[in-house]
Amino acid sequence: MQHITRNLIAAAALALLAGCASTGDTTGQDQTGTQQDATTEQGITAQPGQDAYSYPYGQAPSQYDTYDTTGGTAGGQAGGGRPGQAVAGGGSAVSADRIVYFSFDSAEILPESQAIISKNARVLTGNTRIITQLEGHTDERGSREYNIALGERRANAVRQAMIAMGVSPQQIRVVSYGEERPAAAGQSEQSYALNRRVEIVY
Amino acid sequence: MRSTAFKLLGLIVLLLVGRFTLAQQPLTIDITKGIQGSGIPIAIAPFGGGAPEDIAGIIAADLQRTGKIAPQPPGTRTDYSVTGQAQSGGARGYIVQFQLAGVQGAPLLNLSFDVPPNQLRPVAHRISDLIYEKLTGEKGLAGTRIAYIAGGGGSWYLVVADADGQNPRVILRSGQPLMSPAWSPDGGKLAYVSFEGRRPQIIVQDVYSGARRVVSAAPGINGAPSWSPNGQRLAFTLSKDGNPEIYALDLATQNPVRLTSSSAIDTEPVWLPDGSIVFTSDRGGSPQLYQIGPGGGAAQRLTFEGDYNARPTVSPDGRYIAMVHRRGGRFHIAVLDLQTRQFRVLTSGGLDESPSFAPNGKMIIYSNGQRLTAVSLDGSVKQDFTLRGNGRDPVWAPYGR
Repeated sequence: MQHITRNLIAAAALALLAGCASTGDTTGQDQTGTQQDATTEQGITAQPGQDAYSYPYGQAPSQYDTYDTTGGTAGGQAGGGRPGQAVAGGGSAVSADRIVYFSFDSAEILPESQAIISKNARVLTGNTRIITQLEGHTDERGSREYNIALGERRANAVRQAMIAMGVSPQQIRVVSYGEERPAAAGQSEQSYALNRRVEIVY
Repeated sequence: MRSTAFKLLGLIVLLLVGRFTLAQQPLTIDITKGIQGSGIPIAIAPFGGGAPEDIAGIIAADLQRTGKIAPQPPGTRTDYSVTGQAQSGGARGYIVQFQLAGVQGAPLLNLSFDVPPNQLRPVAHRISDLIYEKLTGEKGLAGTRIAYIAGGGGSWYLVVADADGQNPRVILRSGQPLMSPAWSPDGGKLAYVSFEGRRPQIIVQDVYSGARRVVSAAPGINGAPSWSPNGQRLAFTLSKDGNPEIYALDLATQNPVRLTSSSAIDTEPVWLPDGSIVFTSDRGGSPQLYQIGPGGGAAQRLTFEGDYNARPTVSPDGRYIAMVHRRGGRFHIAVLDLQTRQFRVLTSGGLDESPSFAPNGKMIIYSNGQRLTAVSLDGSVKQDFTLRGNGRDPVWAPYGR
């Protein structure tokens, strides 16, 4: 019993490591080989397989960290958050001058976002070796996969604006997280507004 | 020690509350509306023999959550009664034996099982299903399983649990988001979307070996995998050509074929038994459900109620499509009868999403964004699953292994 608990703690620690470092250690004894049949495009961070650990059903652990996005308490290390407050480990630590916000159900670039987009576009045109990843996000309302599509539509809107400002398409990658990585917890309009965003990551 | 405590607690609960649900079970059942009051009354006596599981308690909880059978404390006068024993012995460790008796003691079922200790819970579920099938004529769900996504904020988990929410098994944990699990028709594999490496890809994982295979990692969206009825193809969403389109991939040849062509969002494909595909598209200005043939072609719009119908799921017989439906700013689970074209809203709404049919077609499990709930196809029975932490993206496993 005791060593099972110890393994679980080790597993949780590994999971945390994997969550923090995109080039997480893959020496977990439980890791099953990931077979990569499909060709994978070079990403800006880790290759597939480095963040995830699979288990045969018969040997799979029954414990996992709990996580609460209601703005209440959170178990484990995951961290919850108050409404309108940043979620620990949820959104990435992108500074405010690299976040473009959107209206509900919209991928339209708001006038107040032009300054942020052009400032980042200038950085990219000034140094063409920089590759940026535009990460699109939505609030949690509605279907999860449809939100992935909406998040991509937002990221593509920022991409088009940057290209119009002279940034090379080769410098821009787009990924949508939909509602899977909220910046703010809770079901308030304030949280929703903070979550409808594109993060300009480079 | 533990089992004695359980039995004592069970006895106390039985005596004081007159219900079989044990306090330590993480599952709670909330039947908002029962059929004809609370279903067919049945008296279930505690099983003798000293097995380390409360077989009668598990059976009673299973039957109660169907909403169609109402377990009563032993001694209550009912038409139906269950008695049994679970004693150590036999070739494998335990002999579990039970009788279902009908009006005036007429024997309806009388069976025994020889099982190892770790199969006592599964055998209790099996007995529940045998009783349910005998009394209702429908296939039971107690022996089935569900998969769902838990965690978030730094650690994500793909969990497989029994249909009562018990016995959770984390078959995958990841430092990046996981979403959209889908069972293969034989119940042996799960396809899902993983963001490991900070980009989405579709992975097929063998549930029993843990082996994984990346089946799609195209630039852009790789989302919403769905198995064809024969398990040989996967439909999913790719945006590599500029906007989200539906593709079908033959798993043997690994060659994806594009099935849609619009400048709008096309996503969330699911197969009907005849091989045609239902999906979400906003080509008409708002997300609605459309249908295309097995090879693509012209899309026929299926939904016309309101301005948001998405995430279709098909009943096993292909007659019903459940979906996420928005009205009055709230998201509900609704169902469309393809035979009568009748459209019905099943839930009171909020953040309801990700519906999935049970393999008997009678229940639909879904998430309200935080927790898992199930509602019957006619809206009359509701079950809440109290899992460890949150749960979302639930999918009910098919009958099979």
